[in-house]
Amino acid sequence: MSASVTPQRVVLTIPAEAWDARRASVWLESSARAQDVPAEQIVRLDHCLDEVLANVVKHGGPTALASAVQLEFCVVRGQDICAAELLVVDAGMPFDPCARPNGLKPMATCLAEADPGGLGLRMLRSFSDDLSYHRTNDRNHLTIRVRWSEAT
Amino acid sequence: MALRYKDVNNDVRHIYLSGRLDTVGSENIATEFAALAGSEKHGVVVHLSDVTFLSSMGIRALIAAAKAQQAKGGRLVVHVRGSDVVIRTLEATGVDALIPMFDDENEAERAVLA
Repeated sequence: MSASVTPQRVVLTIPAEAWDARRASVWLESSARAQDVPAEQIVRLDHCLDEVLANVVKHGGPTALASAVQLEFCVVRGQDICAAELLVVDAGMPFDPCARPNGLKPMATCLAEADPGGLGLRMLRSFSDDLSYHRTNDRNHLTIRVRWSEAT
Repeated sequence: MALRYKDVNNDVRHIYLSGRLDTVGSENIATEFAALAGSEKHGVVVHLSDVTFLSSMGIRALIAAAKAQQAKGGRLVVHVRGSDVVIRTLEATGVDALIPMFDDENEAERAVLA
């Protein structure tokens, strides 16, 4: 694992292994706190990070597990609105969580019909304000954004 | 992540979860939780007030246990009070519509006996 810090952007590289999600979470929290991101927004990003890394490990396939995952974090402060951005780059199978924005399975209406599949994607969309995805050099690039007003 | 339980009698079991139920934490307790919450017919109250993080893996464990109880004729409910992030997660995933949630422990216990 290696980390480097610039005034604007923090980078962490981790193995694609389940336990490293914990280290990534600690890194995210400390990085966000250092840039005065509100606790509520850190919690939102943390949930997104956990779901994305779990997806890479469980569904990314052999190429994902054989390659490092790169995380980049930065904060963009506007006049009224601020955004924290987390970029996750992995070498797993192509997976665009932004695809079919209305394509989530309907929520079950009773326990007997409940299917746990798709919960992670639903959480990712719920906890983020914006997701953007592209695939470059055989790697998934997913940017997760949460926004807040400095006035609050 | 910690898990403990208390049997009130043969009918009601309380399971107390605390700490971080992220993907790793959920996997660590999955087997024990499934055995405690779903292996025998009970009224099961799962306490989540001291959970600081709830992942989709943790929610899967809840749903699986609730379904197992339902299949046996039992019932599983959630007691959560004061943990906004857990409540938000349960609502975002629609689990609040599948598994009854209570902020009062006595009401939760009454519900599993109903």
